[in-house]
Amino acid sequence: MTEPLLQVENLTMHYTTRAGELSAVDNVSFSLKKGEALGLVGESGCGKTSVALTVLKLLPENGYIKEGKIIVNGKDIVPYTEQEMRKVRWGEISMVFQAAMNALNPVYRVGDQIIEALEEHQPQMTNKEMKQKVTELFELVGLESALMDRFPHEFSGGMRQRAVIAMALSCGPDMIIADEPTTALDVIVQDSLLKEMREFQDQLGMAMIYISHDVGVIAEVSDRVGVMYAGRLAEMGTAEEIFHDPIHPYTMALMSSFPSTVGEKTDLVLLPGEPPDLLNPPTGCRFHPRCPYATDVCKEEQPEFKEHSPGHLAACWHPRGEQS
Amino acid sequence: MRGYLFKRLAQIVITFFLFLSAIFFLVDAQPGDYGNVFYSNPRLTPEQRQQLKANLGLDQPTWVRYTKWMSSFLQGDLGISFSNYPRPVIDVIAERAPRTIVLFMSATVVSFYFGFMAGKLLAWNRGGLVEYASTIGGVSLYTVFTPWFALIMIWVFAFRLGWFPIGKFIEPTAWIGAPTEVNDVFIRLIFTALIASVLLFTLLVSVGRLNTNQRRPATWIGMAVIAAGALIYWLNTGLGVYALDILWHLTLPIITLALISFAGSMLLTRNSMLETLREDYVLAARAKGISEKAIRDRHAARNAMLPVVTSFVFSLAFAIDGGVITETVFSWPGMGRTLLTAANAEDIPMVLGALVFTGTLALTAHLVADILYAYLDPRIRYA
Repeated sequence: MTEPLLQVENLTMHYTTRAGELSAVDNVSFSLKKGEALGLVGESGCGKTSVALTVLKLLPENGYIKEGKIIVNGKDIVPYTEQEMRKVRWGEISMVFQAAMNALNPVYRVGDQIIEALEEHQPQMTNKEMKQKVTELFELVGLESALMDRFPHEFSGGMRQRAVIAMALSCGPDMIIADEPTTALDVIVQDSLLKEMREFQDQLGMAMIYISHDVGVIAEVSDRVGVMYAGRLAEMGTAEEIFHDPIHPYTMALMSSFPSTVGEKTDLVLLPGEPPDLLNPPTGCRFHPRCPYATDVCKEEQPEFKEHSPGHLAACWHPRGEQS
Repeated sequence: MRGYLFKRLAQIVITFFLFLSAIFFLVDAQPGDYGNVFYSNPRLTPEQRQQLKANLGLDQPTWVRYTKWMSSFLQGDLGISFSNYPRPVIDVIAERAPRTIVLFMSATVVSFYFGFMAGKLLAWNRGGLVEYASTIGGVSLYTVFTPWFALIMIWVFAFRLGWFPIGKFIEPTAWIGAPTEVNDVFIRLIFTALIASVLLFTLLVSVGRLNTNQRRPATWIGMAVIAAGALIYWLNTGLGVYALDILWHLTLPIITLALISFAGSMLLTRNSMLETLREDYVLAARAKGISEKAIRDRHAARNAMLPVVTSFVFSLAFAIDGGVITETVFSWPGMGRTLLTAANAEDIPMVLGALVFTGTLALTAHLVADILYAYLDPRIRYA
């Protein structure tokens, strides 16, 4: 039973645009065990959301999986048809969307939108059982059950996000992908919601992938953290390793940009430049134009994403800035 | 909602009053009056002519006639139609308005139904020959000169192929010895349609309470029961043949009008749906694993429907405006043709009556659009 719930191998996803091929996800590999929480962190446009959409195969028309495997519960879903994917979606993997504001259809009652998912995945349930299930879900996420007959616009931002979480939990998935689940909320609501999500996860034994640009959010909820840069995984390890012993210079810069309020004073490391244009990514290591430690080898060859200590991987020629 | 309705009704009353005044003065400003037919008699002496004018009330200044007309209007009296002497105007309207409403309502419903379906499919499967063909075809029909197209339709389908009657409301020879009047059958037809639609609506709403797998059979059974009920009613009264005659006469005008106008709703639906397809809730629906058809119909098209409904209600009022032309081409004895005949005969009370009808309809349509909108979009709350 050590088989991972989700195993992504060498996943490469491209968008075909008028200006050419955009490599949004490049050679990404990671795995997720049952009940584990993985955080994906990175700047806007680094491919975090693209990874999420690829795993559910919800890509827009111009996006396609170029290479790699997505193994869910032992089966590779890359060759799956739309029809086969429908069972995987929500049944095995559900998702909490970035903009919960807009993830609910404004013209239907919130409860009915959850029932819609139940009708699809648990057709044997009667209407009464479905109502009962929605009531339970609402209670679980801390919403009054009477609210299920309300419309999304009658909810506050936090309530809507809770409703979206209830919807994600509805069909008992093995895993939930939460894409910036709390970005639109204020810090207080964000904090309580994150704590609650962590509780459901432990309670229901689900695996989670949290996606955020906010290192603080990721630190709070993740067991393991993957740092993404320009469509690639730069580093991956336990939360402890990533925050206290980063290997990749990008991770080092990212961590120092979120200074601790309790630790000793340190200087902020400023990262010059901008994330690269993915239509025309830099050769070699995609971080080299902004890396303070870059050498010739960084410009020419892509570093291997390899293990530096058990479970702690990074793709860098100069781990921790060492010059070899 | 109630407060809003009151406010809206008050607005409608004011608008209606302004509309009445406007049509009265506009019609009054036209040269000639309904006395012309009589004055032109060369044997009348100037005194007799004057007397006639006084009898008709035409020697009074405009504003006196205006107050008179307005006060009798408020008492429900629109005067007597000269071209249908001695029938009161209101009587003529009561007879012909249902024909106009039925013709244009059915044509608009058919046009919007197909326009909406076509637009939905075009937005869903973009690109390709079908999109070009239907867009070009639809827009060509939309811009074609209506009377010409209607005549071509009559020529092809009624005259050459003989599938449909050439114009008119009924086939008079078939009605010899009919147990009742044309209008009676027609009113019964309208009521059948009305009751059937109310039942259908109730059915569709109540079916939603059932479990998923019971919905489809329940819908079919319910629809079959409604259809059977209507059938039994018409067989029982023995008027079915006559009703069919009216329906047969209705078909070609409806097809023609629908062909001319469906492109409007088709393109509107297509654009509106291309926007809703980009919404996050459509992506979320897809992530929920629900079927493509349900995503298309329940999420994308349902929300794309909102602007289409508004345009539907307004175009209904517009279509009836255009009735003057269509009804004349199809010899359809409705309000449009009545307006034309009355205008030619300088039958001013009838002209005013016909215009009052159009105005009432347009104002009602706007009110219905507002209410329908609130029903379709829960975000809209009128206060």
